Amino acid sequence: MTGMTAQPIWHETVIPEGPRVNMRYIDWIWHVRGSVPLPEGQTAGEALDRIEPVFDEVGTAHVRSDAALSFTKKNPASQDPLSVFERGVLRVEGTAPEGRLRYHLVSRALLACFLAPLLFLGFAQLTILVNAYQKPAAEAAAKKPDAKKADAPPMHPIDKALGAPEPEKPGKNGAEGGKRNRKPTPTPAYVFAGIFAALYVGGRILEDRLVKRLFRKRLLQA
Amino acid sequence: MNGIRVGKRIIGADSPVTIGWENIPRVEGGPAKQFIFTWFQPAMLLALLAFWYYAPNSIAKASTAIGIGIGFKVLLLGLEWVNPRYRSWQLTWKELTTDLFYVGLGYTILRIVDSYIGSDVMAKGIQHAFHWDKFTWFVGLPLLVQAFLISFLFDFGQYWMHRGMHNWYPLWLTHAPHHYITQLNINKGAVGNPVELFLIGLGVGGFFDFLPRAFLLAGSFGMAVSTYQHINVRFNTPAWWRFIFNTTEHHSLHHSRDYEASRSNYSGTWIFIDRIFGTCVDGEAELLGMEGGRRMSIVEQMHYPFTEAWKTLKAKFGRGRFDTPESAVPAE
Repeated sequence: MTGMTAQPIWHETVIPEGPRVNMRYIDWIWHVRGSVPLPEGQTAGEALDRIEPVFDEVGTAHVRSDAALSFTKKNPASQDPLSVFERGVLRVEGTAPEGRLRYHLVSRALLACFLAPLLFLGFAQLTILVNAYQKPAAEAAAKKPDAKKADAPPMHPIDKALGAPEPEKPGKNGAEGGKRNRKPTPTPAYVFAGIFAALYVGGRILEDRLVKRLFRKRLLQA
Repeated sequence: MNGIRVGKRIIGADSPVTIGWENIPRVEGGPAKQFIFTWFQPAMLLALLAFWYYAPNSIAKASTAIGIGIGFKVLLLGLEWVNPRYRSWQLTWKELTTDLFYVGLGYTILRIVDSYIGSDVMAKGIQHAFHWDKFTWFVGLPLLVQAFLISFLFDFGQYWMHRGMHNWYPLWLTHAPHHYITQLNINKGAVGNPVELFLIGLGVGGFFDFLPRAFLLAGSFGMAVSTYQHINVRFNTPAWWRFIFNTTEHHSLHHSRDYEASRSNYSGTWIFIDRIFGTCVDGEAELLGMEGGRRMSIVEQMHYPFTEAWKTLKAKFGRGRFDTPESAVPAE
């Protein structure tokens, strides 16, 4: 325990009942549920004794009863193996040899990653709107002749001797030449929307597996 | 903890650091691995300079640079996986996702803002006001000299902006969130409050006219040197490289939990600027961050400069509010 107060969440909101039952259809997005079998002969108390050290992390608080444990996390450390989850409950059900450790973990990080593509699609739309608003001014600026930049810039003899390509006339490659005239495009926003969609799918599968592996490993530890 | 005397300063009194190149661990493994992780950095810089020097005009353009930059970072992510500097800095799904969120902001919404009020607009304005376009003789210099000057001038501006951030409370508030990172990975450079990203982008280098090719060559220094500031890879970096260029080692000290160590190594690319002004410390640190390594959430990163400024103002000018604790210690 680190001084924070953990609420025993199995009495409260983690597993909603009654009218909120429909949430089960969508809350898998940010809720991870699963179970691992207890090794033969292991009691509920022994199982939780082995799991409990996982919650001795900075920013983590947990409370424990005979057969259940709940935890909350605030600003968990980067290397905390459960840093993705803000709260959760673990409960031992049944007795050996059919005993299982069931867990139900909640992750705002997964939910935020699931929603991130929408944010970036919003940025893409904003870029399109801004460009449409800027179009008349940009066209007017483009029509102005730039007499000063008519000649190709000089090339130093050293660069000629070393065989560097001749510079082009400025303006020929327009906005590509430097960063000053670049116009924001919506493409990066679409790319990042895709990246976060992929990250969500990868994270949802990976974190599910990692947490199962962690609990199984702890239970089997001598 | 006693710390180590470096010049007139005691480094490492608050948190452990390693001082002196002879004390830095070396790459572990066979001769091939040793060879790769000794010469990777110089070879990549040379390859990039050669590419931009000789690339035909049709491909020597900004879009190619963006493509190479992304490919290079993916390669470096692979190196982090193969040869990490510290296990305690290993990338997790949450760290990668968080870092990429900041990278995404930089490529999207910040780009829009920058096109209105950022360095591009300021460069144009200042050029116009001071007739700096008379410096067109600059484009007659050899390409590599132009590239060095562009990179140096930009970094010189960044050095003073960064040092200012560590010494003046209002600027520090914008930079402090970046110092809450607790490990170094290649995208950590993007982590921070957007106001800081705007400020750090302002440099005197942007006010001159350059040949596009010289600008791309200058970008090679940024890509093949500055990128290593935030990376979790162990290199046997050659001594001459460490003398001239900023490295992960230097920057890990800058991010150390040790207060004095964090007030060193301000430059982004050319560490000799720090050597000139007496702020360079050669060494490295594993324990990073602020407040004992508290990881700051994205939400707090976004509001921290404003809420801390509000708290400070309220404590200073508010009636009967003098007992409000101030958590942002200036110039750390």
